[in-house]
Amino acid sequence: MTAAERHPKLLYWAGVALGPLAWGINLQGVYALAHFSCETTKLSGTIMSAVLALVALAGAAISARAVRRGAGPEWTDPQGGGPRTFMAWLGVGSGLLFALAIGNQLAASLMISPCLR
Amino acid sequence: MTVAAEERELRDDELNGLELSARLRSIWQTPSGLLGALTSVDHKVVGRRYIVTAFAFLLLGGLLAILMRIQLAGPEKTFLSADKYNQIFTMHGSTMMFLFAVPVMEAFAVYLVPLMVGTRNIAFPRLNAFSYWMFLFGGCFLWISFALNVGPDVGWFAYVPLSSLQYTPTKRPDVWAQMITFTEVAALAVAVEIVVTVFKLRAPGMTLDRIPLFVWAMLVTSFLVMFAMPSIMVASTSLILDRLVNTRFYDSSSGGHPLLWQHLFWFFGHPEVYIIFIPGTGMVSAILATFARRPVIGYPVVILSLIATGFLSFGLWVHHMFVTGLPQLGAGLFTASSMLIAVPSGLQIFCWLATLWDGRPVYRTPLLFVIGFIVIFVLGGLSGVMVASVPIDTQVHDTYFVVAHFHYVLIGGAVFPLIGAVYYWFPKITGRMLSERLGRWNFWLAFVGFNVAFFPMHILGLIGMPRRVYTYTADMDWAHLNLLSSGGAVIFALSFVLLLVNVIMSLRSGTLAGDNPWNASTLEWATSSPPPPQNFDRIPVVKHRDPLWLDNASLPVVAGLSVERREMLVTSLAEAEPQIREASPEPSIWPLLTAIATSVFFIGSIFTPWAVLWGTPPMAVTLIGWFWPSGSKEDEE
Repeated sequence: MTAAERHPKLLYWAGVALGPLAWGINLQGVYALAHFSCETTKLSGTIMSAVLALVALAGAAISARAVRRGAGPEWTDPQGGGPRTFMAWLGVGSGLLFALAIGNQLAASLMISPCLR
Repeated sequence: MTVAAEERELRDDELNGLELSARLRSIWQTPSGLLGALTSVDHKVVGRRYIVTAFAFLLLGGLLAILMRIQLAGPEKTFLSADKYNQIFTMHGSTMMFLFAVPVMEAFAVYLVPLMVGTRNIAFPRLNAFSYWMFLFGGCFLWISFALNVGPDVGWFAYVPLSSLQYTPTKRPDVWAQMITFTEVAALAVAVEIVVTVFKLRAPGMTLDRIPLFVWAMLVTSFLVMFAMPSIMVASTSLILDRLVNTRFYDSSSGGHPLLWQHLFWFFGHPEVYIIFIPGTGMVSAILATFARRPVIGYPVVILSLIATGFLSFGLWVHHMFVTGLPQLGAGLFTASSMLIAVPSGLQIFCWLATLWDGRPVYRTPLLFVIGFIVIFVLGGLSGVMVASVPIDTQVHDTYFVVAHFHYVLIGGAVFPLIGAVYYWFPKITGRMLSERLGRWNFWLAFVGFNVAFFPMHILGLIGMPRRVYTYTADMDWAHLNLLSSGGAVIFALSFVLLLVNVIMSLRSGTLAGDNPWNASTLEWATSSPPPPQNFDRIPVVKHRDPLWLDNASLPVVAGLSVERREMLVTSLAEAEPQIREASPEPSIWPLLTAIATSVFFIGSIFTPWAVLWGTPPMAVTLIGWFWPSGSKEDEE
């Protein structure tokens, strides 16, 4: 059994799963919290976005770790044939991209008052 | 089946050459005659029908566009009445979105995906046949209604309260809503088939990172269809319920809300744009690699972009609702997502440009359409980033600026790649080449005509011309730009006439194509043109992302499939390792009968709620007939 085979399959997918999931929760969560955060604290959306950006980044980090333990060079090999490493690299990209999307929404929640209608 | 019987079964490794080919052909071919045509479950037959029908609807929708442009070519024209104009712009939008754009992309997938992944038929072929009949009946239902002056007139999005019984007491919105149900059932069926085909029927060795980019694009699109379309089905069905049995989903005086409609509609409506666009990107990747004569640079980056675009497309819908009075923070969040989707789209475009830059491009007609796509889509993307911004959107909302933007995105992003795809895959589908000379004329007429037709609409929008007006007065100063736009529309329409002429002439006397006329790298080119009923005599084994460029002469194959019945090889999801042999259904009349029963149910239910009662038993009977064991070998397992 190779090192790649011993590694849990789910970890390869971490970035692909956690990035979009965190972004989806952030989009819906901050939108739903807008009314509540106007009445109490204006920071609820901001805190949520910051935490979820970290979740997306964690997904990217877990996938990156899986890449390091797997067969890294398969990423650039046009022959293909390393689907786990391939998905792990997709996880790295996905985690980073969705962290960026959440960061952009975080900027919006910092700039715009939730009380503004 | 007993072990003894299985042992006697003849396998493909016991036959060679012509004998094997003839045997497989006799098993897989569609029976001749009318009944044979009605019972076919061959993905190529259904795919061809789908493509031809979708293009027929394109021509009808295009004809409506020309009628609108004649009406708007000058001020205060009386070519169309206000009522007819309302019907025509609704029919144009509905036809193009629901009867052309989505179905034609799925149609290409129905034809090509099984060939590209190296299998003999699509998963659930009877469902595939049912899907086509539902699409056909839904389209005919809409157009026959239009011919009877019951064509919908409430816009392709049928906003309430305009589409409510109070403001539109005719059957027109019901026709629109039920046409949606028809086409969404068809689209959902195809989406399920594509997902299962890609996940479980790939040729051995075609691991996840060896799947062709067009197939990846269709896989992502299919997931979008499965998650987006239920939303519009819920919306259209609840609209019918409001109108027929007085429910109050959208009535604010009874606890409903008109904005619920907009949320449901656009939760489907924005991913719909990507359901149309993402297959276009897959076509671009396929064409570009072949004509740049090198693999697309950044294969994983392109796939990451496809997946990210798919997810992000579900977080943009509120940018269609910026002027409905939503909280500004909410609008800001959707602005952020809307602008961010430019990142994965931009990544893909840079990968394509790098591929062209590093390749040795051959500028044949398909590549010309791809280059046209890049230019037009980038322009559409730029105006998209503009309207993603709340202040700009507030200013240009419901103006011709938005009309210009979405035509740049949809025609640039989907129709240009699609026409390129027609030129690219026509030889595979028909066995004959399209004329290159007519193709170049076709491209330049389309490119010039499109820009002359739609670029002036940006300016018209910015100077205040609203959408969906059937005429305008001379003192508005919109006449010259509208005339220019109408002239461009005629040129653009001529390009499609030229495409039609090219297709007809080539079918009659086009140059014979051969198996792989473009020297392309993917598996559909490994079989004859047009492909035989069984697609491949032996299932190929994939050892490279571009299998035909690795070594076309000696593509390895697997052996051991039955040559006594329809049988396919099921492989594992990630590694595509062979798992089991699976029977594939025989031709059947039941999908057609089920589609007829479902159509009667759907159409009846816009007139009377009792249709739910008397419409269900025929559907149940046809479904029982569909799944009734027929004594074939398929059913014995």
